[in-house]
Amino acid sequence: MIERRPLSRLAGDEARNEAPPLDVRFIRVPSIAERKLGSDYVAPMRLDPRVLEQMQTTIRELETKYADSLKSQIAMLQVLVEPACRGDKEARERFYMLAHDMRGLAGTFGYAIVGQFADSLCRYVEHSRDGDWRDGTVVNFHVDAIRDAFENPGTDPAITMETLNALDRLIGSDINGNGSQRKSG
Amino acid sequence: MSVALFKKLTILVVDDSAYMRHLLMTLLQALGVKEVLLAINGDEALSIVQTKEPDLIITDAAMMPMDGFSFASKLRSIRGHALGMVPIIMVSGHTDIASVERARDIGISEFLSKPISARGLYERLIQVLDRPRQFVETPTYRGPDRRRRERPFEGEDRRNSIALL
Repeated sequence: MIERRPLSRLAGDEARNEAPPLDVRFIRVPSIAERKLGSDYVAPMRLDPRVLEQMQTTIRELETKYADSLKSQIAMLQVLVEPACRGDKEARERFYMLAHDMRGLAGTFGYAIVGQFADSLCRYVEHSRDGDWRDGTVVNFHVDAIRDAFENPGTDPAITMETLNALDRLIGSDINGNGSQRKSG
Repeated sequence: MSVALFKKLTILVVDDSAYMRHLLMTLLQALGVKEVLLAINGDEALSIVQTKEPDLIITDAAMMPMDGFSFASKLRSIRGHALGMVPIIMVSGHTDIASVERARDIGISEFLSKPISARGLYERLIQVLDRPRQFVETPTYRGPDRRRRERPFEGEDRRNSIALL
């Protein structure tokens, strides 16, 4: 359905005779709710606390499984770091994929700090050159931080923040010279 | 009401991470979604939509060989068919401003940053299902209106088109 938008209240009479430009079209998209529910549709949809609780329960149920999976992934990171730093292309790809997975999933399942270290590692790898890999310092520092965050989830947040800031400083000078600091909270 | 709606939906989830696919599928099933289709990258997703048209697509950004941006761009280039206007929620760990702007300019309906939360996903689903923004077609852009709020333009009218305000 193609719809011409009503004239703005700011538009004067001269605008009423002027058609909208041919190269811009506004199309009203019927809501899926309206389309699917037909006469049962009652707008607007609101966030249902019971449904939300059900979704959160689903995440909690997956947490235990994820903890086992994360443990294996961290072990694999430790295995891959050496060949990756040596120049093994396949090891680097697998290493990055694992870190990328952690960045996306760890926070959802209660491992927010692991997720933040993984995010930092991903950003470093995305901008790294071969020499950065071969040096290995920053990569190894990240892997140690990820393992430590997983094994010691109760670490003082101030220490975690300081570590993240140290990593930011390490990679910031390589990536964009950004010396901005993270803030807790 | 929302449960009744979810029971009528077919949603395509595109993500190269098996765990993320599993997580999203489980969350959507918890909502009562009738059918969840899964694809591991943009190429596979394009094959799927040729035979089965989803009501909504949730896609990752970084995938190989075809990433979420290219996939969304290909979908938005489909003209004369509802598939070209299907709501797309992009889920990504790349939350830098450049990635978000790129997603917006390709015609993504909603952006959800990783790690995802139940509330974040639920809110975006409601947004695209019940409050879709009007679609805009210009020579350089095709997708939901990028303006989330309608505000009168107070500057000089350089487009000579007051009706667009």
